[in-house]
Amino acid sequence: MKLRTGALLLAISFFSLVTPAQQKEQGTIIDEVQMYVSPDANAQKLARATRGRDVPLVMERTKIGDQSWAHVLIIVDVDRERETNRQITGWVPSKVVISTATPNADQIIFGEAVDSENQAEQRGGRKHAAEDAMRLYYRIYDYWPNSPLAGEALWRAADVRWQLEKADVRLRPSSREMNPDLRNPIDDEPMKLVMKKYPHTKWSDLAAYDLIDNKLCGSWKGETHCPEKESELYEKYAREHPQSPKAAEALFNAAWRQAALVQMYGAQHDKERDKARRRAMELAQEAAAKSSAGDPKLADWKPRAMELMYSLQQGIPTYDAGTDRK
Amino acid sequence: MVKLIKMIGLPLLALAGIGSFSAIALAVEQEHATLIREESLYTSAGANAQKTAQAGRGSALTILERSNADNQPWIRAFVRLEQGTQTREITGWLPARTVITASTANGDEVIFGQAVDSERQAEERGGRKGAAEDALRLYARVPELFPGSPLAAEAMWRAADIRWQLAKADFVRSGKPLDDKYLREVVAKFPQSKQAELAAYDLLDNQMCPEWRGMAECPIKESALYEQYAHQHPQSPKAAEALYNAAWRQAALTDIYRINNDREKSEAARKKATALAQEVQGQQPDVDWKARATDLIYKLEQKIPIYGAGVVEAGETK
Repeated sequence: MKLRTGALLLAISFFSLVTPAQQKEQGTIIDEVQMYVSPDANAQKLARATRGRDVPLVMERTKIGDQSWAHVLIIVDVDRERETNRQITGWVPSKVVISTATPNADQIIFGEAVDSENQAEQRGGRKHAAEDAMRLYYRIYDYWPNSPLAGEALWRAADVRWQLEKADVRLRPSSREMNPDLRNPIDDEPMKLVMKKYPHTKWSDLAAYDLIDNKLCGSWKGETHCPEKESELYEKYAREHPQSPKAAEALFNAAWRQAALVQMYGAQHDKERDKARRRAMELAQEAAAKSSAGDPKLADWKPRAMELMYSLQQGIPTYDAGTDRK
Repeated sequence: MVKLIKMIGLPLLALAGIGSFSAIALAVEQEHATLIREESLYTSAGANAQKTAQAGRGSALTILERSNADNQPWIRAFVRLEQGTQTREITGWLPARTVITASTANGDEVIFGQAVDSERQAEERGGRKGAAEDALRLYARVPELFPGSPLAAEAMWRAADIRWQLAKADFVRSGKPLDDKYLREVVAKFPQSKQAELAAYDLLDNQMCPEWRGMAECPIKESALYEQYAHQHPQSPKAAEALYNAAWRQAALTDIYRINNDREKSEAARKKATALAQEVQGQQPDVDWKARATDLIYKLEQKIPIYGAGVVEAGETK
């Protein structure tokens, strides 16, 4: 996101010399398109631009026959891995350009982003649909910051990116390192941007929850300090974000880690074990109370907390030390 | 509960002559139960006894006898072991602590909680093997053991839905037809409920074409099915999705007819698609469906291809 923003700033500063800011038509594209050197489908092809690409400037529009064309500046990736990009000018069918001049532009782009996200979740869905969704969501915040969808769009862009990077980090050998400082962290800039731009909102609460991932141990290896620290992190989150949609989940995660500690301490450290059991019960009760039967997304935390409490009362193991499964 | 006794009654009678199971046990109400952890079955009470089988989470149990060994309570139970479509019955001893009966305090929530946990495991990369089947069995046990529970309808629906999703994945591989019995049971047992509406939505899958092959009949039929669902279940959590799906299929028809040079039908499909998408916009408070409908309307207005679209060229569909 840092690089993306950097490139955007460069593009904007260059074109602000040419065009006054208030006249600038900017936006994105909502379909994969071919770019041409001139407004003609038989003209030389320049590049293929994908959904959500940044269009920092629509320079002109023209109609040739039945077809409307837009002459645009588009920022495209050169190397996905290194996140290098370049600016290309060319002609694209006008209808796929959603700009600051399009009515309901924020809704249209958001809809296309949801569609791409849906594709990404489907088996056999469109390739790179998650990246399309990420870019489309980001564009709403970028060019329509006053839209009622802007906060949610920025959060979703950051979350899609976070989940993609998380999956990538998990594939590396360092992901199993106990100490989180020994692995490459997930880039937290996009999440911090959500928190900065939309403080005290649901989006900020959700971003803060994702950030916990970077502080979790890759594996516990039977050491108690990992679940102790993680339980503290989740509990702290729940206390600092009591209105968050993730508050019940955070409390459950804190309770679950205390329950794991009960097993890890075992009979040799009965004082610590009893303390962990008490703490797990208290936290699970809190999680159950936070769970709302009216909200289908939150309703599940109560039965999960009840099951955890039952397991603690009956001495049923909740943590599989063999697989170090969390 | 009655259903379970019916199902297990015959094998129990057969066993009566072999083991120590007595005729008296049949006369009294049998206590049914399930497991919230995978457990080994033993030949006698105590962890040092010989193991005979493994019983998974959510296995159906009929309690035969209780005892104490190793300072903890044990249960001898008749266990129905399910593996895929195969079922076998066995009796054995197991620790009582992971057994949930109808008399366990908050038993419905405890089973439901473990089912949610298993479902999450099934969704996670590297999650526990067989976790989806565990979740299915656990959810199914809730209405069986606790028919009056406020979680019964939701649990029955989730069990049927997991079974449906697993069968759907199997259908893609093997072409084996989907059995809609369990979804129909949800509709019959909890009519007019949210869960019945969700089950009715899943049932539409069975009426969808596996492939369209560029022909108009399939999207026409599918659009009608989705529209009918949306109008028959206006309060359903799936009403917006159904309307959007109906609109999307009409939008696809716009392209199919245009490719076939049938301008009149193409225009009629465009109008129908726009009207359905506008219905989604007008009725739904859900941000996602509203935005998707707005996006679809824009594409219809601009004649951006929807069906079979690759790269948008100058007015051509690829």
